[in-house]
Amino acid sequence: MSAIRNTARLFRPSTLRSIQARSFASVVPETKTSTVPEPAKDADSQIKTFHIYRWNPDEPASKPRMQSYTLDLKKTGPMMLDALIRIKNEVDPTLTFRRSCREGICGSCAMNIDGVNTLACLCRIPTDTKQETKIYPLPHTYVVKDIVPDLTQFYKQYKSIKPYLRRDTPSPNGKEYLQSKEERKKLDGLYECILCACCSTSCPSYWWNSEEYLGPAVLMQSYRWLADSRDEKKEERKAALDNSMSLYRCHTILNCSRTCPKGLNPGLAIAEIKKEMAF
Amino acid sequence: MASIVRPNVLRQTCAAASKRAFSASATPGFPAVKSAPSIAARPALRSAFVKNAIPSSMRVAAFHASGRKAILPALPQTIDGTANDAAKVPESHPSHGSYHWTFERLIAAGLVPLTVAPFAAGSLNPMTDAILCGAVLIHSHIGFQALIIDYLPEWRVPKSRKLFMWGLNLATVMVGVGLYEFETNDVGVTEAIKKIWTA
Repeated sequence: MSAIRNTARLFRPSTLRSIQARSFASVVPETKTSTVPEPAKDADSQIKTFHIYRWNPDEPASKPRMQSYTLDLKKTGPMMLDALIRIKNEVDPTLTFRRSCREGICGSCAMNIDGVNTLACLCRIPTDTKQETKIYPLPHTYVVKDIVPDLTQFYKQYKSIKPYLRRDTPSPNGKEYLQSKEERKKLDGLYECILCACCSTSCPSYWWNSEEYLGPAVLMQSYRWLADSRDEKKEERKAALDNSMSLYRCHTILNCSRTCPKGLNPGLAIAEIKKEMAF
Repeated sequence: MASIVRPNVLRQTCAAASKRAFSASATPGFPAVKSAPSIAARPALRSAFVKNAIPSSMRVAAFHASGRKAILPALPQTIDGTANDAAKVPESHPSHGSYHWTFERLIAAGLVPLTVAPFAAGSLNPMTDAILCGAVLIHSHIGFQALIIDYLPEWRVPKSRKLFMWGLNLATVMVGVGLYEFETNDVGVTEAIKKIWTA
């Protein structure tokens, strides 16, 4: 009898509601649980505010907005990417950004942090908590979502310079194309580029003319193949740049060299191309 | 698994299709777009009803510190061919490319000695004066030309580009005629600057 009564109790609306409200596993009424108080703020906690650009393609009618998050720097890693990952893990899982290697070699986490295009994983969080950090997607890119830019045009342009070794003559020893140490040295500072697009998207000329102007990153890779002693299609490569738009929209303002998170110098590479093509 | 992923991909492609004008060859990569015309059509319908529907690019622009500019705002994204095609390589025009650049730099570098020479030599030669005038004229012509090429893209505003280019040519010719008159019938540029300097 008691078993039946207990079973019947399960179907009473009030019980049903309380079961629905809580998870089915927990049957201890709320009054008998102990409450875990919110941990008191540490006296030495460093609360910093991050303003992050948000835009959701699923709501095309709503405008992009800035969303603010606060984090305790004492519990966050030293880099901006650590902060972003912590926000995504612990505060707001809808925050969208690209990241992969977290050590500045993949170029996924390129974004505009405090007005400078850089890799979030190589950018330290300024410990000054009064200064609030602002994070935007790479400037003048089409935004896919939040801080994810669309780099289709960038990659298409990279493909257009044929970024691979092109030659007709086979190697003398039939195995490999040898280079002297000096020839190899010319490629230093060029081959390290990870194509994060920080430099191209910091260039006003690229902002206005990205349809036709190749931009610093792609031009530096173009020079990487022009400078390669093994490549035999130099004239063809130069001819592809020999028009008013592809190369000569560079007006040498050097935003590219200033912003490069890898410390490379695209401005110098572009100047070298211009010099090579001049005489 | 694919069936779980599909709606997500579908939604993205639809949003993309409404925003960017993919060419027809771009769709085979995402066949879902063709199989679900009702969903694909929805964003377009919606934007027709939304009041003050401005392109998303403008909305982004309004967010920037420099304020919204109505002059040549960014257009909705278009992708030429598929995302995997290389960007089109333009034809080679050395007269607009490397020759142009070399000439421009030579003129610019030449202006320095030409400017200094008459003052350093202390004598006025109508020939150096004429060369200086010509160099300044060509230098400024190339400078304005660069402005027009930068800010009036030919693929977007071909008529304005042509108009401004011809306007520039006209202005250069007019200034050239004026300088010729000034050199032949008046004191000449160097002497005029000297006079203003000591006035």
